Amino acid sequence: MSNCIGPVMIRQCLKCRGPLQLSSRAYSVLPPPRDSEEKEMLDRMLRVDHAGEYGANRIYAGQMAVLGRSRTGPLIQEMWDQEKKHLEKFNEILAENRVRPTALLPLWNIAGFVLGASSALLGKEGAMACTVAVEESISEHYNSQIRALMEKDPERYTELLQVSNKEFRDDEMEHHDTGLEHDAESIPGYWLLKKRYTTGCKAAIYVSQRV
Amino acid sequence: MAALLRGLRAGRTLRGLCSVVSAPPAANPQCSGLTRGIHCAALRLQDESKSDKPPPSSSSTTHHEHYQTHSAEQASTSDPAAEEASRPNTSYQDQSGEQGEEYETEEQLQVRILNAALEFVPLHGWSMEAIAAGAETLDLSSASTGMFYNGAGDLVLHFVSHCNSQLTEILAEQHKQVQLGQAEQKRTADFLRDAVETRLRMHIPYIESWPQAMSILLLPHNIPNSLKHLSTLVDDIWFYAGDRSTDMNWYTKRAALTGIYNTTELVMVQDSSTDFQDTWNFLDNRIQDVVNMAGTAKQVQSTGEAVVQGLMGAAFTLKNLTGLNQKR
Repeated sequence: MSNCIGPVMIRQCLKCRGPLQLSSRAYSVLPPPRDSEEKEMLDRMLRVDHAGEYGANRIYAGQMAVLGRSRTGPLIQEMWDQEKKHLEKFNEILAENRVRPTALLPLWNIAGFVLGASSALLGKEGAMACTVAVEESISEHYNSQIRALMEKDPERYTELLQVSNKEFRDDEMEHHDTGLEHDAESIPGYWLLKKRYTTGCKAAIYVSQRV
Repeated sequence: MAALLRGLRAGRTLRGLCSVVSAPPAANPQCSGLTRGIHCAALRLQDESKSDKPPPSSSSTTHHEHYQTHSAEQASTSDPAAEEASRPNTSYQDQSGEQGEEYETEEQLQVRILNAALEFVPLHGWSMEAIAAGAETLDLSSASTGMFYNGAGDLVLHFVSHCNSQLTEILAEQHKQVQLGQAEQKRTADFLRDAVETRLRMHIPYIESWPQAMSILLLPHNIPNSLKHLSTLVDDIWFYAGDRSTDMNWYTKRAALTGIYNTTELVMVQDSSTDFQDTWNFLDNRIQDVVNMAGTAKQVQSTGEAVVQGLMGAAFTLKNLTGLNQKR
């Protein structure tokens, strides 16, 4: 039965809109999905990753708006530039694989900026505490994605694991460590702040996967 | 039911095969080997199952037909030899032209019935009668409509998804042409207009009964499926139009095109002009509206930015004038 392709199967293959003949690049970060379940799983992962990078971008923008002209300006600018690169990569992947971006993007736009700005108003330590908390949530999220993909089929997803997850996760961990280095923990009420930020991030991740 | 009929047909083919094998090969000088004989029988059986004639009851008639097919074959001896080599013994398993598959799934059978039923839609409307008539043309009993729990909804949804796949094929073909450099990339507005027009033209053979189909699609238990078909249609059209946005534009573009498509469909249903010219004019105007709106939105945004800059400049000048900017 595998050597004959009736018209129904062709139609079904066409319905599975993988990047087969539509991508002009020789390689693609994602393998063409085998079935709609896999496509949905990958869609969800990419959607939330994209939303995460978009949010992180806005958080740093908020922080820069307040602390841009202070001593920590260049440091925040550097971390922001790396986030911008991540966002660009995800934009590419989303466009190529026809993944729907999350509908809450305007919300993350405003919420991220407000979060960054309000944490920066608490001073440099506040901004660093926010960075530490957010980067920790994002790294945790990337790790769980890596675990899920490795469980399913490490060879199939090597590209995705290598580029988006491992590389980006390492960058986020670096930001996390930078934040700690720059006296994030010295702010009074650090644990409370951190708890609040991480809970907010978890809720955002949960919602972005679905909407 | 379908299985029972297949069993009957299998019985017929076996009887035909047995009668051929029992004909003495020695009496036939032209028949060189048993494989040739089986091949001839297979060809005859294929014809038989396609036209659904009753099998020959006497061996002499079999013999004659055997001679006839064989002599007709002698004219092109190279082809049968090649064909023989490629499909030696499996051709007698061929049933009703299903290219070598051993059996068909229920889904494929449903698709075949629904495709056949589409012919009867102008006569019976989108209903179980059309499905029953379609089943009868495939030599199945009209009771096989029991397979379709959703009744007319199944027929309409099948037609919609069939049209959507056809459109996707056409758009993919055009895309390939553009990538090969054999065709020019159309402007977005033109592309959208052509895609929507192509898709709506597929309704023309059924336009009389299309309002009934639309109302069936709006039934509560059909709404999730019809929305899904509509969203994949709109997503496909925008994808091939070159949209690669990953922000809110993704949503606004698709919402706009959905609005255009739905309103144009409604206009088409009550259009009585020649070749639906009024509908295509309406479509043109709507697409132009959307393009204008997008342009206006951009203008508003850049004007807003310019105004903000102007205000900030004015505030700064004021601060200078009142001396608030001086460092004391």
